[in-house]
Amino acid sequence: MSLSTSTSQTKNTVYIAIFAAMIAAMGLLPPITLGIIPVPITLQTLGVMLAGALLGPWRGAMASLVVVVLALAGLPLLAGGRGGLGVLLGPTGGYLVGWILGSFIIGALFKYWVLRVTGKTAQFLAGLASVTAGGIGGIYLCGVPWTAMVTGLDFGTSLLGSAAFLPGDLFKAVVTTLVALTVHRSYRGLMK
Amino acid sequence: MSAAHNASYLSRIKPGWKFGSLLVLSIGLYLISSWQVLLVAFILSVALLASARVDLKQLRAPLISIVIILGVVFILLGIQTNWLNAVSSVLRLLTMCLLAYSVSLSTRFSEMLELFQQVASPIRVVGGNPDQVALALSMTIRFIPELKKVYNEVREAQHARGLANNPLAVTVPLVIRSLKIADETAEALDARGFDSAPANH
Repeated sequence: MSLSTSTSQTKNTVYIAIFAAMIAAMGLLPPITLGIIPVPITLQTLGVMLAGALLGPWRGAMASLVVVVLALAGLPLLAGGRGGLGVLLGPTGGYLVGWILGSFIIGALFKYWVLRVTGKTAQFLAGLASVTAGGIGGIYLCGVPWTAMVTGLDFGTSLLGSAAFLPGDLFKAVVTTLVALTVHRSYRGLMK
Repeated sequence: MSAAHNASYLSRIKPGWKFGSLLVLSIGLYLISSWQVLLVAFILSVALLASARVDLKQLRAPLISIVIILGVVFILLGIQTNWLNAVSSVLRLLTMCLLAYSVSLSTRFSEMLELFQQVASPIRVVGGNPDQVALALSMTIRFIPELKKVYNEVREAQHARGLANNPLAVTVPLVIRSLKIADETAEALDARGFDSAPANH
């Protein structure tokens, strides 16, 4: 086994761990409220979005998966100090699964599209579209049908329920895009 | 949530059995639509949780959150379909959550993690490395307090500049410093000869 393989493998693992820890740490921060929006915003999915946008599809998805596994195993890592198997079986379990898909989609779009776009405005728009597709589209895609299936509510009501979180999620998507593009500019080669 | 000092009969059952039973029971609950049967199941799950002598303090926060969500679900379902249907749905979900809490609160975190790693061990076949998985999980736990410290430091520094509430001014340095910590840790692991590649000689 050549040294370079094991070196990059170890580095990948450490990157996955640090972003998993970031997702977890952001769940411990108190939720913020933006003036007009009635629903408090938890910062946890900001970490999920950042993991994808900075680490790429596989490592980003792994970072989300690590948090989900640790939370299901019993650590109170989810926003509000939740954890344990009950979280997955409850009505909002799908959103948790959606994190993995969400960071994967964001990572793939960043790696193969956003980072190749030239022009600052065009790159920002491509980034925002990607984070929205994965961090909102991907997460809701798992969360909304899950809630509908588990509770017996119809699909529309379930979708309407998640709409309350949309303004906060859009805010996080903008922050993620700006942060990710800034960091990629100063920290090149994150997604080789 | 997990068991720190649970010494009930439930904590002595193998985690794999508890986890498997939880899966089977959850699927079973979806096959039942009669509210009377679901009520009996709910009472049994309360009895199970009570008999496991779990640490009830850990249950308060998750129970409050689940009761709020289920309250909303109950009202919406009742209006949309009928109230008996709403009762069944809420009883089923509560029963599943109580069963899941019973498993979580009677199983030590390390046991649960070991079970997950056993379940994940077939990734070896597709080229995955279980040692790397174990490393990622344990390093994550170790990094969480460190990142909280970094967050507080960054926030304090930006507070001095009047930027403590600017999300970009806080998140960018937080991410950059996290990446530096990761680079240093990876270098240290390599310098100490942590060879995580599977042996192939």
